[in-house]
Amino acid sequence: MTLAEVDPQRATAGTGRGPGPSEVADRLRRGRAPRGAGRTMAIIGAGLVAACVLVALLAPWIAIHSPTEPSGTPFARPSSAHPLGTNDVGQDLFAQLVFGARVSLVIGLGAAAVALVVGGLVAVVAGYYRGPIEAVLMRLVDLMLGFPFLVLVIVLAAFFGRGLWTTIAVIATVLWARPARILRSQVLKLRELDHVVAARAMGASGLWVMGRHILPRIAPLGAAQFVRAANVAVTLEASLAFLGLGDANRLSWGTMLYFANARSAFLTDAWRWWVAPAGLALTTVILGLAFLSYAIEEWADPRLRRPAPRPVRRRALPPLAESAEDAPALELSGLVVDYRLAGSAIRAVDEVDLVVHRGRILGLVGESGSGKTTIALTVAGVLRPPARVVAGTLALAGRELGRPARPVVAPFRGRQVALVPQAAMNALNPAYPVLAQLVEAARLTRGAAEATTRATELLERVGLPASRHRSFPHELSGGMRQRAVIAMALVNDPALLVADEPASGLDVVTRAQVLKLLLELRDQMHLGVLLVSHDLPTISRLADDLAVMYAGRIVERGPAAQVSSSPKHPYTRALFSAFPALHGERRPLASLPGEVPDLTRVPEGCRFGPRCPDAVEECRTGDPALEDVGSGGHEVACLLRRTP
Amino acid sequence: MARHLLRTSLQYGAVLFAAIVLNFALPRLAPGDAIDYLLPPEQAGALTPEQRTAVLDRFGLDDAVPEQFRRYVTGIARGDLLVSVRFGRPVTSLLRERVGWTLLLVGGALALSTLIGAALGFRSAWRRGTRADTGTLGAVMFLDALPPFFVGMMLLLAFSVGLGWFPSYGAVSATDEQGLQLVLEVLKRAVLPMATLTVAGLGPMYLIARSALVSELQEDYVLMAEAKGLSDRQVRRHAARNALLPVSTVALVGLGTLVGGAAVVESVFSYPGLGRLIYESVLARDYPVLQGAFLLLIVTIVIANLLNDLAYPLLDPRVRKRRS
Ligand code: SF4
Repeated sequence: MTLAEVDPQRATAGTGRGPGPSEVADRLRRGRAPRGAGRTMAIIGAGLVAACVLVALLAPWIAIHSPTEPSGTPFARPSSAHPLGTNDVGQDLFAQLVFGARVSLVIGLGAAAVALVVGGLVAVVAGYYRGPIEAVLMRLVDLMLGFPFLVLVIVLAAFFGRGLWTTIAVIATVLWARPARILRSQVLKLRELDHVVAARAMGASGLWVMGRHILPRIAPLGAAQFVRAANVAVTLEASLAFLGLGDANRLSWGTMLYFANARSAFLTDAWRWWVAPAGLALTTVILGLAFLSYAIEEWADPRLRRPAPRPVRRRALPPLAESAEDAPALELSGLVVDYRLAGSAIRAVDEVDLVVHRGRILGLVGESGSGKTTIALTVAGVLRPPARVVAGTLALAGRELGRPARPVVAPFRGRQVALVPQAAMNALNPAYPVLAQLVEAARLTRGAAEATTRATELLERVGLPASRHRSFPHELSGGMRQRAVIAMALVNDPALLVADEPASGLDVVTRAQVLKLLLELRDQMHLGVLLVSHDLPTISRLADDLAVMYAGRIVERGPAAQVSSSPKHPYTRALFSAFPALHGERRPLASLPGEVPDLTRVPEGCRFGPRCPDAVEECRTGDPALEDVGSGGHEVACLLRRTP
Repeated sequence: MARHLLRTSLQYGAVLFAAIVLNFALPRLAPGDAIDYLLPPEQAGALTPEQRTAVLDRFGLDDAVPEQFRRYVTGIARGDLLVSVRFGRPVTSLLRERVGWTLLLVGGALALSTLIGAALGFRSAWRRGTRADTGTLGAVMFLDALPPFFVGMMLLLAFSVGLGWFPSYGAVSATDEQGLQLVLEVLKRAVLPMATLTVAGLGPMYLIARSALVSELQEDYVLMAEAKGLSDRQVRRHAARNALLPVSTVALVGLGTLVGGAAVVESVFSYPGLGRLIYESVLARDYPVLQGAFLLLIVTIVIANLLNDLAYPLLDPRVRKRRS
C-alpha cells in the first residue's frame, strides 16, 4: 500500500494486483496542488514567514530610531515617538523589535542552510560511496541524533562565544544530522534507478552522476528539511539568546526577552510592550515555518489528507430474522460510486447490477481500476471517503437496505456479509494472537465461552492446526494467515462472502488449496460468494457465474460455462488470452494495446473503443448496454454482438 | 536478543564516550587558555606566571594529552568531577542537590505531554479532515510555536503576578514546612514550570500520534476489523495498539527536548533544578559545573533509551520474535 501512496504509477504497473480505491484516488490526484488543511497551512505559513522577512528587509525604513542608541527616557510608555516605549536604558523597543527580525532570521535561516548543505553532503557521500565511509558517517549521524539539541547548543555556545557567525555554526552543528539521515535514504533509492545505474556503468564520474542525476532529485526533500531545520534553528537561537548567550551587540528577539527577564519587566506592566511583542514575533516565524513544513509533509504523504469515514453510530441492530432460504445472498442494482476529489468527481462504478445466489460463486473480473474492488468494499460496508455511493439499492439475503452507503451496510458487517480483503495475508492485526482475533469477532453474537468454541471450530475447519491457533500472525505462513482470515470472516455465519483476490501473493500450490477451500465452504455453509479477481482463466474454472467489468461497467456476464466456452465481448476474449507469467501470476492483457482508461476522461461511445481490436465507426458514438446474446442469461454490452 | 542488546549497548556506549571526549576537549579547544575555563576570570587574570604553572600542575594540564584524558576518565568513573568555580564545592554534590527538582519537572511534564498529546493525536486521526481535527491541529501547532520561555513568562504573569495563585519563585518556601504541608508547597510551586514544559512537549507528541494512527488506520487489518463487524471503538483500539509503538519512541525524543527546555524554563521560574544551574553557570562562566551537568544529562538520556529498548518487545510481538 505504501509504495502506491508514494508513487501512484507503481500501483497500476506490474504485478496485476488491482488497485484499491486509494490508488484510483491517487492517480487522480497526481500533479495537483495540496488541498484542504495542508493548502490552507501552506498559504498561512508562507504569509507569516514572508511578513517577517519583509519586516527584516525593510527594518531601517520601518523603524524611526536606532535599536542600540538611547533615544528616549528609560521605561517610557508607548507614545507616538516610541510606539512600544523604551527599555531600561531608553532604547526604542519598536526599533529593537524590527531590527531583531534581522538577527533572528539571519541566524535561523543561515544555520538551517549550513545544516542542509553539510547534511546533504554527508548524505550524498554516504549514500553514493557506501562501504566504510557510509558506516562511519551514519554512526556519527546516529550519535548526533541522540544528543539533546538545546543542552549541546548551550554548552557549545558557552565555550565558543556569542558572535553571529559562531551562533550559526553552533546551531548548524547540532542540526545537520537529521537532513543527512533523511536525504541519505533518498540517495540510496535514486542510486538504483536505471538511468543512474547506466550512467555509472558507462563510467561517468561520481561527481557528474551526483550533480546531474542525484542532486536535482533530492532538492524537493531538501527544501522540506530546510524549512524544518529553520524552524528548530529559530527556536534554538531564541533559547540561547534568552539564556544570555546571544550577541549583545546584535539584538535578536531572544535577546530582547533576555533583557526583559533580567530586568523583571514582567513584574510591571512594561511586559505588554517589551515581552509580548517579541514573544509573539518569535511565535509568528516559528508557526509560519511549522505550517510550511507540515504542508510539505502532508503533500508528500497523501494518507495524512485523506478524510476519515464518518463514524458509525452504534445502533440496535435490526433483528437477524431467518431470511427466506431462496432469497439471493446479494442483490445489487444500479450501483453508482464516485470518488470526489479536488472539486471534481470520477465515476468508478457506473450503473452496475449484480446478483449472487446462495451456494453459488459469482466471479467478478476486470483489470486494475475497473471498479471491482470498489464494488466489493461497498457491498461489505467498508467503503471509505473519498469514495461515495451516489445511487443504487442493495438487498442482503432478501432484506432490502436501500442505498448501500457505509453506515447503512455497517450493522450487517460480519453477520450478513463478510469480507476477505485484498492482500488478506496482511489482514490480521500483528499485535494479537490469531485465535483472540477470531474470538473477538465471534463475541459479537455470543458469550465468551461459546465464542472460543466457535472460533476454534472454524480455525479447524479451514485447516489451521490446533497448535497454531494461539500464534501471532507473523509466526504463520502466508497460506495459514489466508486461511485464518477466511475463518475470521465466516465466524458469524454470513450469507455472503466477498473475497477480493483471496489467493493473491501465494505460491501456486497454496493458491489452489485456498481456492479449493472456498469451494468447500460454499457448499458446507451454503454461502453466496462474490469472488473478485483480475485472473479470468482461473476464476472461470471456479465460479458458477461470471461478470466482466471494464471502466466501471459490466460488459459481459452469464453462467461461467457459457461465458468461458464462447466469450462474446472483445475484452473478455482478450482476458482469456492473457498468458501466465513467471511465478504463476497472470499478467492480464499483455496482448492488448493501450492503457486502462483514465476515468477522468471516459471516451465517447463504447468505453473499450480505443483498445478494441474489432471497433467499427459506430463504436465512436454508440454506448452499448447489456443485452441478451443467448439463453441462460448470457449478456454482452457490445454493438457488434447485438442480436437483431 | 543478546546480540541485539550488545549492539544497542555499544551504540549508547559510543554516545557516552563522545560526550566525555567532547567535555574533555571543549576547554582545551575553545579560544583562550584552558585555565580561563577552570578558574573564575578575575583569578585567572591575576595569576603570576609561577601561579599559572602551579594551577596547570594541579589540574594536570601540563601532562601529555593522553595522560590528561586517562586521568579525566578515571575521575569520572570515581564520580569525581571538578570543583565548582562559583561555589567552591565539588560539582558532584551540587548536581546531586539539583537533579531531583529537574527530575520532578521533566518526569511530570513528560508523562503529561505524552498522555495529552497521544490522546489528542489519536482523536484527531480518528476524525481527520473534520473541523475538529483541523482545529486541534492548528491549536497544537500554535502552542508548539510559542517559545517555552515565553509561555513560562506569560503563565507567570497570569497566575503568579496577576491572580496570585502560585508563588513565582523557587521550589520550596523559605519557611520550613513539614510532611503534607511540604508536599503541597512543592506541588504548588511545580505547577507552572511543569505546565510550561508540558506545553513544550505536547506538539511533537500530538503530531506523531496523529500521523501514526492515520497510517495504522489505512492498514488492511483495520479494514478487516471493520468488515468482521467490530464497533468503531473496537476498531480504534486495534489501530491504536499498533500506533503506540512510534509514540513510545517519540516520548524518548521528547525527553531530550524537555531536558533542554528545562534549562530555559527553570530560569524563568528561578527553579533550583539542573537547568537553572546550567543557566547560572553560563552566566558565571562556571565551566566545570556546566560540563558536569552536561555529562549527567547525557547519561540520563542514554539510560532512558536503553530502558525503552528493553521495553519495546513488550509492545511489539514481532520484535519479540525477531530478537529471540
Ligand atoms: S462496441 Fe465496438 S468498441 Fe465496443 S467492444 Fe464492441 S466492437 Fe469493441
